[in-house]
Amino acid sequence: MTLQPIKKVWLDQKVEKAALTRRLLDRLPGVPVEQVAGLEPVKREFRFATDPVGESKQHLFITEQKAFIRPCPCTPGSVGCGYWTIDLDLNCPFDCSYCILQQYLNWQPLTVAVNRQKLRVELESFFQRKSSGIIRIGTGELADSLALDEMTENSIFLVESFRGQGRFWLELKSKSDYIRPLLTIKPAENVVLSWSLNPEGIIATEEKGTAGLMERLQAAAKAANHGYRVGFHFDPILHYPGWQDDYEGLVAMLFRVVPVEAIAWVSLGSLRFPSALLPLARRRFPKSQIYEQEFIRSAEGKYRYPRPVRLLLYNLLAEMLASYRVEDKIYLCMESAEVWKEFLEKIKRGRQKLAFPFSWLG
Amino acid sequence: MTIRLIKPDKINLEDRRFRFTFNPVEERFKYSVQVIGVLQPVIITYREGKPVLIDGWKRVEAARFCGLEQLLTLEIDNQATDAEVFFLAFFINYSRRPFSLAEKSLAVRKFHDFGLQPPDIIENVLPLLELPPEQKTVEIMLELSGLERWLEVIHRKDWKLGTAELLVSFPPEERHWLLQLVEKLTHSQQKEIIENFYSLKRRTGKSLKELAGEKEIGTVIGRLTAGELEAAGALLSVLRKFNSPTVWRLNQAISDRIRQLELPPEISLDYDRTLEKTGLKISLEASSTREFKEVLRCLSERLASPEWEEIFKLLHHVGD
Repeated sequence: MTLQPIKKVWLDQKVEKAALTRRLLDRLPGVPVEQVAGLEPVKREFRFATDPVGESKQHLFITEQKAFIRPCPCTPGSVGCGYWTIDLDLNCPFDCSYCILQQYLNWQPLTVAVNRQKLRVELESFFQRKSSGIIRIGTGELADSLALDEMTENSIFLVESFRGQGRFWLELKSKSDYIRPLLTIKPAENVVLSWSLNPEGIIATEEKGTAGLMERLQAAAKAANHGYRVGFHFDPILHYPGWQDDYEGLVAMLFRVVPVEAIAWVSLGSLRFPSALLPLARRRFPKSQIYEQEFIRSAEGKYRYPRPVRLLLYNLLAEMLASYRVEDKIYLCMESAEVWKEFLEKIKRGRQKLAFPFSWLG
Repeated sequence: MTIRLIKPDKINLEDRRFRFTFNPVEERFKYSVQVIGVLQPVIITYREGKPVLIDGWKRVEAARFCGLEQLLTLEIDNQATDAEVFFLAFFINYSRRPFSLAEKSLAVRKFHDFGLQPPDIIENVLPLLELPPEQKTVEIMLELSGLERWLEVIHRKDWKLGTAELLVSFPPEERHWLLQLVEKLTHSQQKEIIENFYSLKRRTGKSLKELAGEKEIGTVIGRLTAGELEAAGALLSVLRKFNSPTVWRLNQAISDRIRQLELPPEISLDYDRTLEKTGLKISLEASSTREFKEVLRCLSERLASPEWEEIFKLLHHVGD
């Protein structure tokens, strides 16, 4: 994992005196700090950069969040999984060619909210309000859950906030291998540390700055040994010549390193992106070939591989995973009911166990 | 500022240093000038002792066409710098109508050439032009403005920034080749052809010349360049086949099976061409119970054909 250095800290004047602000600044000695009244002047700075998105990843904005918890919007026409998100950090220091945050966050710098006490209050109310069923909630939608953890130690704060809340499963989703703080505390049964996975060749070319495959898997193994549950997201699965061999190697490596019984869930999602990302990503990653494959424009306006190709990816990957007996832990991310149905028909054939569509929802 | 009358032919219309708009003089406007003359003064300034037009291109052109002897001019002090004068030209037009992308590119070019620095263009000009205020936009606009005679095509077809960005990512000789190829087509055809060539080029690593040399593509390009505009559809179809082989192949196979069913015109089949949906829509047309029974009987008879099973298989196909 190689993070680019922070060029500048932008301090929202509202949180100048917050205790976490002090700690963050102490961890960034020598980095220039400018106090600002809001986000606008920070974004303006990026206008003049050749690569404003890349630039935004090297600036840290310390601020507060008005609200943290919201339901994951999924995508129109897809089967939702009832997931909730916590927007504690925004943006990510890693630079994946397929990441929709490049376009979605509109030059938002790396943003850390320091009013965590407000999140704690929100969580307490959330725990009381949601009176039945298992709820999954995570910080990895608009950020990488662990990429800035060395600075923020948000992971410890979150685990402690969820401890004892058995129905509420916290997921910390990452492409980092930095789990040191989490190994210094007692694990919680309802905390899942999860990693997005792709073949090593894809990590090297498309996931700039992230931890390598073996580093991620070893971090997962350490987490499992410590007593955490772990999860894996094959997302985005990429379709390219030779993909099948690469993913077979990846699955084999996963189960060589990580004990099957520690795995809480495995998600499968194929490459999808809004049309507005296309020119930006092609510009930022001129050598990447991932955008030059066969796509259809789906009803919600996103580009996706055609359904026959997506099902091929899901079916073959599920077969690979099933040979390690995790088929009942697989779910699809942002897929239509039609694809879900065909996928389930295929994967449950000849097996007693039903590949679960969200058994945690009861 | 001075107001005076000058002869329209004293103004050199070839000196376009302050012009960034494209609209040609319409017949109705010429007729109006013929009837009532030009009442509103055109705006000029002097450079090297000669009048240079700032605003009023259509009026001067129409005045010349109608043979007017004199034209009312508002003269801007010749001490004003080119940048100041262009600033004026820009804002006179700004309130009149939204600019096309080609006009925006010329405006950016002129601001740039008259000394405005890119950060100033990003901060002060691009927001007025409703373009993304970033360095990349300045680069695209400057590249686009260099397309000279093609700018008028881009103006007429009302191109969007995305298409322009794709176009300027080709080397200059390929840009010209592409523009020549699509010049007479509709905007959506232009856009789709450029996008498809862009994708195909990136995917194969081949130049446009090499791609055009491939038999299937070359044949339809030949028809298109010979002036057969209907060949645009065929070119798009060939490009889609190259860029979207799975969907193209399945669609072809499904269409073939549907044809083989030889259904009467009262029975029509439809399906989602993106293949996201696996269902087949079957429509029947009848204007009486008797006809309806007849159509149903005909459909039942046809159900014995093996093509039905093949169509459903193709709609559920999994693979690349």
